[in-house]
Amino acid sequence: MTELFLFNRRSITKIFLMMIFSCVGLIAQVSNYISNVQVSDAKENRAITISAELFAVENISEITLAYKSFGTAEFKKRDMIITGAVSSGTIPGESVLPPYLEYYLIIRLKDGSSQTFPLGVDQGIVPLQISVAGSSLKDKEIFILSPFEGESLSEDEMLISISFIKAPDYIDIHKTKIYLNEEDVSFSALVTVDLIVLSGENLPKTFATETRRLRVEVFDKEGNLYHSIQRTFNVVTAQLAKMIESSWKYNGYLKGESRGENFNKASTWYNNFSAELNSSYHDWKLNGYAYLTSEEKNDLQPYNRYSFSLQGGDWFGLKIGDSYPRFPSLIMDGKRIRGFSGFLNLGAVNLQTSFGETERKIEGKLLEKFLASQVPLSSDIIAINKTKYGFPFGRVDFGTYSRKIFTVRPSFGRGENFQFGLTYQHSKDDTKSIEFGALPQENIVFGSDLMLALDNQNFMFTSQIAFSLLNKDIATGNLTDAQIDSLFGPNSTFDLDPADVKRVRDLIGKFITVNQYLGPWNPQEFASLAGEAALTLNYLNNNFRVSYIYRGSEYNSFGQTFLRTDVKGINIVDRIRMFDNKLFLSVGYEQLEDNLQKTKIAVTTFQTISGSVSFFPRMDFPNITIGFNRFKNNNGLKLSDQKNGKFTIDDVTNRILLQMSYDFTAGIKHNASISYTNSIREDNGFANSDASFSSGSFNVSSSWNNQLISIFGLVYSSSEIKNIPFNYFSLSLGGRYRLLENKLQLSASFNPSFGDFKRQSFELIADYNLFSNVNLSFQTRVFRIPGSATNSIVGLSTRLSI
Amino acid sequence: MKLKSFLIVLVLPIAFGGNFYEAVPDPANSSVALVKKIVKDVTYKQAGESDWEVAKTGLPLKDGEEVKTGFKSLALILFTDGAGLMRVRENSILHIYGQKEGKKLNKNTFIQKGLIGFDVNKQEDEEFKFTTPTVVASIRGTEGFIEVADDSTTTISLLSGKVEFSSIVGEKESGEVAEGNTATIDSKGKIIVSASTEEDKNKSAQTRTFKTKKIKIKTNVGDVEIEYYSNQN
Repeated sequence: MTELFLFNRRSITKIFLMMIFSCVGLIAQVSNYISNVQVSDAKENRAITISAELFAVENISEITLAYKSFGTAEFKKRDMIITGAVSSGTIPGESVLPPYLEYYLIIRLKDGSSQTFPLGVDQGIVPLQISVAGSSLKDKEIFILSPFEGESLSEDEMLISISFIKAPDYIDIHKTKIYLNEEDVSFSALVTVDLIVLSGENLPKTFATETRRLRVEVFDKEGNLYHSIQRTFNVVTAQLAKMIESSWKYNGYLKGESRGENFNKASTWYNNFSAELNSSYHDWKLNGYAYLTSEEKNDLQPYNRYSFSLQGGDWFGLKIGDSYPRFPSLIMDGKRIRGFSGFLNLGAVNLQTSFGETERKIEGKLLEKFLASQVPLSSDIIAINKTKYGFPFGRVDFGTYSRKIFTVRPSFGRGENFQFGLTYQHSKDDTKSIEFGALPQENIVFGSDLMLALDNQNFMFTSQIAFSLLNKDIATGNLTDAQIDSLFGPNSTFDLDPADVKRVRDLIGKFITVNQYLGPWNPQEFASLAGEAALTLNYLNNNFRVSYIYRGSEYNSFGQTFLRTDVKGINIVDRIRMFDNKLFLSVGYEQLEDNLQKTKIAVTTFQTISGSVSFFPRMDFPNITIGFNRFKNNNGLKLSDQKNGKFTIDDVTNRILLQMSYDFTAGIKHNASISYTNSIREDNGFANSDASFSSGSFNVSSSWNNQLISIFGLVYSSSEIKNIPFNYFSLSLGGRYRLLENKLQLSASFNPSFGDFKRQSFELIADYNLFSNVNLSFQTRVFRIPGSATNSIVGLSTRLSI
Repeated sequence: MKLKSFLIVLVLPIAFGGNFYEAVPDPANSSVALVKKIVKDVTYKQAGESDWEVAKTGLPLKDGEEVKTGFKSLALILFTDGAGLMRVRENSILHIYGQKEGKKLNKNTFIQKGLIGFDVNKQEDEEFKFTTPTVVASIRGTEGFIEVADDSTTTISLLSGKVEFSSIVGEKESGEVAEGNTATIDSKGKIIVSASTEEDKNKSAQTRTFKTKKIKIKTNVGDVEIEYYSNQN
């Protein structure tokens, strides 16, 4: 695996930004497993989908998405779904806040190791940034009345209408440009004082029935572009449109993919099949989904996915199969379970629950057998069935227990102005599920949450608190009466009445196995308590949020395994909108500290100061974001301290960020973006891991005509970690061309890089619309490492829409 | 609230020099609504005119204009400020009114007769009123239907949200109806609010969907195709 790129270990850790070519959020970086990442449009409070194209999938165990909002230091994490050669994950809308958020991916490999994308984030490399556009007043000034987002209608019924009723006076409605699938249809529009109407009968009949992208460009009286809005809808046959209007509606697809990977001289073929069917009747919605892949193997966690769901309005929902239920974030948030989940919202009283398996059983392997007299001292040697194997002890490769998790949350209140919820979660490894395993565990969490909002949610208070118990080894079951009698009593190890201990065991034992591995042992220090509270005020163009978090060092929830523990502190963020949402000023301050239960030598203080200015002009001028972050970590120890000097933490990182994007016309339409990042870490601690790097990129995409779009990008990166420099330069050339009456779309890109990192990659995708509901897609990717291997992926997929 | 308004009006222009003085287009020419879909026989009448004209998809509707649907006909009306939509069912007459104040559009609809399904978004400081011969109702973020019978009895049934209403006849009582409930106001202004019956729920469901059928008539000069909407969903 490490032969893929011929770098030494130190060099690999220092590689970061490779190339960015994007008018559609396509990001390509150095990685052994990810060729590029696509990011959906980032708009305030709207969920962002991140999908990564993978290669060497055979070696990947799981991928986690880590993200954080402006002004915070802690990355939140969520599982990503792997389907074929693509892994996708979602950043929930509540975390998508201006001016930008940062993210990276954690790729866990089947050999137990892991790496990040971009490489080296765990060693100080800067994560990726996504600029988040604030919800613009322009969206409320000029909007598309018809069609609705995702609407399906027949060609005869097609009506495009844009409302200018709230537009400012300096807008010239007559200059508005309307594009359907990038074809200018403005000439067909009827313009009134504050409305543009374009009906299907006035449109050219050159469009096939298909998904259509409506793009509207609005100009001011001087001809400057003021706003651009988009919408996607479907034009279908009259029969289908009629069916869609009826009470019964359904749609779906069947997709098959065959893909071959040639990776480090090893060839692997994958075959995937997926199908989805959606149906609705009035408020009732039915969904069935299945993804079956040749990667599914009994000795791995599931790769196949399937689910069936039924939803009745917003009051009833039931999902069977794979689901990702969301409860209060301290307890369970986006963890995959295989079982069922559901909700019943009655308004005043609501109930949400889920039950299923988070880990399936994977039997361990017996590697070596020993006589009792020959047993070496090693953690992977356990007692085995002597009758069955002829020996009493064996060295094993431990398997994974089946783990089931149950969560229930009754809540009171509709959630618009008030809601109070109580959550209980129980999770346990099935000790009988496998023969060769170790340390089966059990976990329970109790929690409550509160939401209180006033003044149309401009004033909002939220809080949640949770308490956990964890048993780190339930193999021996509950303490027996005899064990309690021997351990407790006036002259025993613990001076407690054994009868009291038995009563406590019987009481707590109803929820969790009670033995010597149950913790925490110091609940009075709030070691397994987690809580957070936040107050949000949205007044006078300020979005002000102050929050406090507390997470004890022993807090554990099997439904939320990504939570950072042993930390407490405050976070204050203020986002100020000025000049009619043209200027955004954001400031943030966070101070956290660890060692809450005095389990470390010293308390480390993590201080983050953030500032950002974003300018989104309405006129012909680039959008600009300038950001600054200062991260300071210090635990008060001195290097000169002979006893504890090696634990000294004392580092400061200053980072600046500049991003500009600009839509302009120079003969043809262009979208250009420039970014620059500079980060300097001064480490005066024991690690002495000084680091600096700077990176600049320039990208431009140009629309030559309705058929051809070209992409050009440059990246320069220079970094130095522990006085070892690493510099490279990369180039991106690509384009997309439509032909055969838009039925065939060809996309190609070529990305060579030079300097301390050398690689050439080439990608070609051909997508052909064989029939109105059948698409064929061919994809090939080649990665060449000069002087080393040439790796390739070739795939063909077919999709039938229903 | 007054303090907030004072601060917004006085302090912000000074602080940020924003553009607070914008000319307002002539409200009389503003379109209040738009016909998004038509099935079979839908006509409209301009303010002050007496003749009904055939309505077409995409027709902008201005203050004071009326829409009428015939037998087995339907019209889908969108408000131009994005406030929501109305489904005018068969044999109904709807009057559209709109007053533009700055960037606000205060809307009022007079339902002379018939059945109107509505889906209205939450309004920001803007009014959305339904008027019938017996009732004035103020709406915020609501979905349901209003039906005016031949004797002017008005039925308001809600799937979501809340509606405050006042009778404009009799003792002019006021009332409120919440989601899952139906209010009936008879021609004398008497109000009865009760949980929606199955019939009310079915009617709500019917107003939200429209299944059309087509018949083709062969004539000497060619085929004539007539589309009409079916009550049976």
